[in-house]
Amino acid sequence: MDDSGVDYARLNYLMSFAKLLHRLFFGPRITESKKIFLSENNELEQVGKELKSIIHSLYGGRSLRIRAVDGGSTNAEEIELTALNNAYYDIDRFGLSFVASPRHADMVWVTGPITRNLERAVKTTYEAAPEPCIVVAVGDGACTGGIWKDSYAVVGALENVIPVHIKIPGDPPTPTQILKGVLSALKNSSSRS
Amino acid sequence: MDINFMASVILFSLIGSLISAFFSFVGKEGKQHKAIMIFLALSTGVGAVAGMFFLLSGQTQWVIFQSSWIFGAPLILQTLSALFFVLLNTVACLASIYAIQYVEQYRNIYNVKTLDSLMAIFIFGMQGVLLSATPFSFLLFWEIMSLSSFFLVMADKEIASIRAALFYLIMTHLGAGALLAGFMILSNGSFLESFTRLAFIAQQLPPQTLFGVFLLFLFGFGSKAGLVPFHVWLPEAHPQAPSHISALMSGVMLKMALYGFFVLTLTILPPIGMVASMIVIALGLLSAFFGVLYAVIERDVKRVLAFSSIENMGIIFTMVGVAFFAQSQNLIAFSHAAIGAALLFAIAHAFFKSGLFMGAGVMVHAAHTRSLEAMGGLAKRMPLFSGAMLILALSAAALPPFSAFAAEWIFIQNLVSELSAASLLVQGVFVLILTLVALVGGLALFAMIKLFGIGFLGEPRSEHVEHADVPGNLISVPIYILAGLSVVVAFCAPWVLRVIKFNDLSTADGLQSNLIASGAALNPLYLFLALVIAIAAVFVLRRFLSDVKNERPYHTWDCGQPITSGMEYTATAFSSPIRFFFRMITRSGKIVTVTPIVETNTWIASRVFSLELRQIWYDWFYVPITKIFLRASTAIRRLQNGVIQFYIALIFIALVLTLTIAI
Amino acid sequence: MNAFLLTGIQIVAVLGISPFTVGLVRMFKARLQGRHGASPFLPYITIATLLKKQMVISKSTSWVFKIVPFVVLGSTIFLVCVLPLVVFGGMFASLGHFIIIAGVLALGAVFLVMGGLESASAFGGMGASREMTLASLVEPAVITTFATFAVVTGAFTIDAMFQGAHILTSPALVPAVAALIMIALAENARYPVDNPATHLELTMVHEAMVLEYSGPYLALLEYASAIKLTIFSLLVANVLFPLTLASNLSAAAIAIALGFVVVKIVIVSFSLALLESVIAKMRFYRMHEFLTIAFFIALSGLVFALMSISL
Repeated sequence: MDDSGVDYARLNYLMSFAKLLHRLFFGPRITESKKIFLSENNELEQVGKELKSIIHSLYGGRSLRIRAVDGGSTNAEEIELTALNNAYYDIDRFGLSFVASPRHADMVWVTGPITRNLERAVKTTYEAAPEPCIVVAVGDGACTGGIWKDSYAVVGALENVIPVHIKIPGDPPTPTQILKGVLSALKNSSSRS
Repeated sequence: MDINFMASVILFSLIGSLISAFFSFVGKEGKQHKAIMIFLALSTGVGAVAGMFFLLSGQTQWVIFQSSWIFGAPLILQTLSALFFVLLNTVACLASIYAIQYVEQYRNIYNVKTLDSLMAIFIFGMQGVLLSATPFSFLLFWEIMSLSSFFLVMADKEIASIRAALFYLIMTHLGAGALLAGFMILSNGSFLESFTRLAFIAQQLPPQTLFGVFLLFLFGFGSKAGLVPFHVWLPEAHPQAPSHISALMSGVMLKMALYGFFVLTLTILPPIGMVASMIVIALGLLSAFFGVLYAVIERDVKRVLAFSSIENMGIIFTMVGVAFFAQSQNLIAFSHAAIGAALLFAIAHAFFKSGLFMGAGVMVHAAHTRSLEAMGGLAKRMPLFSGAMLILALSAAALPPFSAFAAEWIFIQNLVSELSAASLLVQGVFVLILTLVALVGGLALFAMIKLFGIGFLGEPRSEHVEHADVPGNLISVPIYILAGLSVVVAFCAPWVLRVIKFNDLSTADGLQSNLIASGAALNPLYLFLALVIAIAAVFVLRRFLSDVKNERPYHTWDCGQPITSGMEYTATAFSSPIRFFFRMITRSGKIVTVTPIVETNTWIASRVFSLELRQIWYDWFYVPITKIFLRASTAIRRLQNGVIQFYIALIFIALVLTLTIAI
Repeated sequence: MNAFLLTGIQIVAVLGISPFTVGLVRMFKARLQGRHGASPFLPYITIATLLKKQMVISKSTSWVFKIVPFVVLGSTIFLVCVLPLVVFGGMFASLGHFIIIAGVLALGAVFLVMGGLESASAFGGMGASREMTLASLVEPAVITTFATFAVVTGAFTIDAMFQGAHILTSPALVPAVAALIMIALAENARYPVDNPATHLELTMVHEAMVLEYSGPYLALLEYASAIKLTIFSLLVANVLFPLTLASNLSAAAIAIALGFVVVKIVIVSFSLALLESVIAKMRFYRMHEFLTIAFFIALSGLVFALMSISL
């Protein structure tokens, strides 16, 4: 504070806060508006658009909630799933969100070769989720058993435990690939019901 | 109907209790249990009806029994005593019906013959207290009530019960002693004077004496009503008694103390003044706060209810204290309203608390223990019973639209409306009361939801509850009736107030009328209807918008690992935040004992956690007093040196001293 | 008849806009985090989806579990009927005594708590215990805050209180409004009391109790919490700007009031999102500090009000 009685530090702080607000609301966002974002990343645009249109046809343009289950993965897939929530991929804007209970879920995403220890967990999560529920196997482990395929410690592919609607291969699949996988899951699901 | 006839019905009810006590006592070992309980239910039932008839008749006094040679003045029924008489007899009637099957279940524990007999004497004592009009009969019946309940507390003959009963005996007799002394001062030693005459004498006494008398009576009635710090016996004694006796003790016997306090302060003593009323308020708030705090953290279902009774009595005494305080400040309308609220609360409390205690009997029977930690899952096994208990618990929590809410509404509404006009002192006192009553209300909610939530919801926490049977009709119907009465009192609160002559708190004649408090009106029935319609609308809309049949049972989501009832939240865990926030006051301590399993490695150890619930009044007030007494007696014991000359000298000194004082 | 129509308009408006409020807060929060975020209309779709879905009911539960959603939503709708949210002088405004409001709020909380305990899982119990603690300890602050309004305006229904309480003419109300905001945060399980977006069971309060609900029941509960958020948003806004409410049935007044509802919702949602972005959630075991502060602010408001009257 100087002699004039003006608290410059405070004023500066307020100014920078106002700037920050301005930047956040009117400046460029990390997740840009859909149009700009999609024009830069054609692959994701394709996935996002189709995903949206299929969700539309399935639930009349509704929101989907996801329960992710770790069936014994190396956590590589989990890191990619977490990435879906970040500001770059931001699955919220597609009406998708992760939830804390299978009771709330419309989709169950499973990762990893289903180990014997987690077989029951995967199964009960699927059974605990209300119908209709879409099961997605995320990553090579869940799709085929991956490099652990014939181990005594794993059950192998997710199909051996619960019906799977779609497989998303990759070790780990990128977030973009995961969204692509979700798309086909919804296609399967719509033909099933 | 003829007044004389109805008055003789009340007398019949009084004698009926005595007759059942007699026949139970002389009868063969519990053979006539059923017949005697039915007779007791009948005699108390007609007593309740006759009392109700008196209240509705609008008369002010009935002479029940002329007997100047026994009691001095006749036994009489007045509006106030009739109200309590109806409460007592209603609860006693339902308790007797409840006892028919309840006592059968415990035939091998209780001596049925004595239990029934004592119960009838207990009821007789309370009926007598209400009809008394002289200190002699009042104290006589008071003693009958206290002594019979003392024996009832130790009916199961367990060590804990006997200890609790002895503790109760000491406390209640300290209180009775105070009452005796108080009446002695008031009546100049003549116990056969009527209360009206006592009131006349009291006007002549100097204010200091009156204040002393008031304190004596406050201690006497306060210790019976379980006011903190004279409450320590209550959470020990009430839970130990059989459940229908607990219901009577908590639902009605505490009301006897309230009744006595009313008789004393309203009809005998002149207006008690500001200081005295502030003492009552302080004791009331203290009881309410400590009672509810321990009701929240206790884990024994009947102790929770006992502490909740302390809280409720605290609230009632606060209301009464505020009434006298307002009187001393010339806020006559408010004083009147506060008494009305206190009486309404007392009525509500008599019903919901006896219902809850009877229900606790069913819970204890199902779980084979009083600990809430072993209960749970009862709602699924006994849906109807749990519904009644939910209503009773919500009534006790003073939630709208249930019964205690109406009383709190009148009280708080008036309190707030008096705030702006009052002097600084009054404002200070009222703000304190307002905030503390709100805090107590919030915590009471916690205690009751803990009781219901842990006791009835989720999965059973013990084998016994898993195989629990639905209670028999004779056990559950009285509880349903009490739940029903709680609801009826809630809807008809204005009508109830009008019947007990609090006309300005209610409008209109019919059952559906408004409660009036400081210019604002509330129709409890409309409130209920509005809530029900809102809920029903949601129900209908849901059926309309979604497929009702589309549901599937599955076990609770368990994160993939099977969960057992051992993983459920317990009563201890449920109340843990409150215990933590108020740890400065409750001083409960966690004890973790670590014992190494392997000598060489201290990391491999078994840990035992236990929680010590302490009562600071017990630890800091009663234990030191006991210690002082013990120390003093040890010191005095030195006199017992076995030398006869010394004893003779002692007698001589005592004689000289007595003579000196006498002269 | 007028009063009836006014109440009808209020009910339709509040019930209609509630999911939007929740969606708007989420969108604002996303923007403040640099994300694009979901459309503010997403909650409508979520609720519609949930209504279509199957229900999975736990075998541990009893009849209480099934009445909980109805009582919770019903009691919330009761509040919408009696409180001054869009209009003054509604049909049921005379039932809006402040003690009834406090009681009905507690009734909803209590049933939600019972729903949490019904699941027989540790998560439900934990959420239940925490919610119960908050609901019971917030009570003194609620009563004191409303008592301040009652003292200042001499009225006992919230409707009359807000009509008479002009914050510019009675500055004693400032602490009361501050306390009301803190109460609103606690009642709606927002920061710093609870994190509404958490997926971690150990930090949950509100969410932990509804973990076991699915399908239509979950829709009812989510809708109820959306309505509650809207109620408190509008209450806080209305006490600051009581002139934005309609008090007669003229088309212009109603249109203006409805327009203001949207404006108020947008402003309050933005403020809430901003608040939630700049502060951290408090540890649950420090919650009594928050509630004590709320209570003492409310108490100081009451003392100011009493002093300003006696002066």
